[in-house]
Parts: sequence; structure tokens; C-alpha cells
Amino acid sequence: MSEELKDIKENIMSQINNGKIKMKPKIYFILGSISTFIGLISSIVISIFLFGLVRFSLRTHGPMGQYKFDQMLSYFPWWTVVLAIFSLILGIWLIHKYDFSYKIKPWIIILIFILAIATVGIFIDIIGFNDILFRYGPMKGIMGNGYLRGPL
Amino acid sequence: MEEKELSDEEIVEKVRTSNQELYVIIVDRYQKKLIRYVNNLIKDENKAIDVVQESFIKAFINLNNFNIEKKFSSWIYRIVHNQAINLAKKYQKETPLLENWDFKSDDNIEEDFEEKEIKEKVEECLKNVPLIYGEPLSLYYIDEKSYEEISDILRIPMGTVATRINRAKKLMKKICQKN
Repeated sequence: MSEELKDIKENIMSQINNGKIKMKPKIYFILGSISTFIGLISSIVISIFLFGLVRFSLRTHGPMGQYKFDQMLSYFPWWTVVLAIFSLILGIWLIHKYDFSYKIKPWIIILIFILAIATVGIFIDIIGFNDILFRYGPMKGIMGNGYLRGPL
Repeated sequence: MEEKELSDEEIVEKVRTSNQELYVIIVDRYQKKLIRYVNNLIKDENKAIDVVQESFIKAFINLNNFNIEKKFSSWIYRIVHNQAINLAKKYQKETPLLENWDFKSDDNIEEDFEEKEIKEKVEECLKNVPLIYGEPLSLYYIDEKSYEEISDILRIPMGTVATRINRAKKLMKKICQKN
């Protein structure tokens, strides 16, 4: 055993001294952390806006509700639902990369994450921010022109 | 030698910034403990030695990712744990990894097993305990890690650590009394 331990030590140190194994530079890990953070924020933002979009589209109150609902079904960009779910899963996966995540039960993290996104998504929809984005902002045209043409 | 009196974290900082040779002190401090730990998990000393060697190499490569504010021992144990689990998964049939492996026992094991007795028996009984319970048990009794450190190594909440250790004690009593 002691001979094998000596071997381990010698083997590792010779690889270090020969330059066979090298430490990854700090910047590598800093860039990794930044990418993770950006990925997490992006997935949260995308999830929130797409959740808002789904809620916005499903509002069929007022006159001609059924007509609006049928119209929504034909114009609705279903890929956004897939993207929203994907973003949500990505966000949860990225949260698990952070040290604090394992100190809390996973289902609590998932629940809080989904509830937070749903709450902010509803809030953004209520204040009408989604509406502005869909009509004039970067998401203009996402629902197709017909749906956002305004009241008939 | 002056460096030998430094803490793990201080040595790591020196390895990162000025003297890579000091990594040998880290290897010296941990190799025995880690080999015993892995051997308790995978029950094969040769493989345990390989796992520990690979882990030291991996740790060195990623040394700049270690947060000096935290405990180095938890970090190196975490790396070894990951390596050992990857290997154990390959031999899953030999080493059961069942998450929901459970049993019924109404006995109060605290009355029957004093901690010292458990510590002595852990090592000999460990090979019969599923990995999911054997690992926290080994860390707690043999490596004398706190619940918090075990939580950091296994990346599970402290409550889960306590539950697993408690179940492992009951399981050990059941298994080891048979033998």
C-alpha cells in the first residue's frame, strides 16, 4: 500500500513538472460563470415574456370572445410554448449549478422558480408591457398581423 | 518544513500563485483518507487508487475554480465522490445504488448501538450497505465529517444527510446482526 501511495504521489508530481497536466486559467472559470449567469437570466426573461404571451393570447373576455379565441388559435405561435418550457427547464438546470441549490430541496426550487416566473409574467401582462412589445417592440409580429390588428 | 504547517487553503493559494511543487503536501495529506473512502464505496482497492489519482489530477487542473473561502477537504472529497460514483455506475450490478431502498424497523437503534460500537462496525459492515446510505455513513463515522461537510460533499440538504445516516444505522443493525 505505501509503495502504491508513493507511486500516486510521484506519478502526479511528475505529470505536473513535465507540464503534462496544467491548471486551467482563472479566466476560464470566470467566463464559465458569466455564461451560466447570462444563460440563467436569458432563460428567466424568455420564460417570463413567453408566459405573458400565452396569458395575453388566452384572454378572451369581452364581446366576441369565442371569435377572438378561434382567431388566437389560428395565429398563435405554438413554438413559443415549446421555447417557454425549454427555457424553464434550462433555467432550473442552470440554478442547480449554483452552490446554494443543493441546500434546498429540488422540488422547492422548481416550485419557486415556476411561481416567480408565472407571477412576473402575469404582472407584465397586467401592466400592458407585453402588449407594447408585441405591437411596437422587438417582439412585433410574433403573433401575426391579423391578431394584433385591433378591434374589428 | 514551514509549508507543512499551513492550512489546505493556504497551500492551494501558494500552488495557484507561486509554487506548484507544494501540491505534493495536499496529495500527502489526503491520499490515504481518500483511498479508504473510495474503497469503502467501490470495494476494490486497485480501482480506488486509480480513482484517487485521477481525482488529484482533476483537482489540480481545476484548482483555480476552488473558492478559497470554503473548505478544501469538502471540495476534494466532492471530486473523489463524483469520480467514484461514475465508476460505481459502471458496476451498478455489483454495487446497488437504489435511491428508495428501504426497510421497516421499529427498534430504537440508539439504545442498542452506541456511537463507538457503530464506528468500529461501520467499516466491516459497509460493504453490505447500499451506496446511497453507505457513503454518508462512511463520511460521518470513518472520515469524521460534520453533517454540513457531508451536505457539501454529496450536494444534498442537511436534513437528507441526517435521514440517510439514521436509515443507514438501522440498516446496518439489520444486516450486520445477521452476519
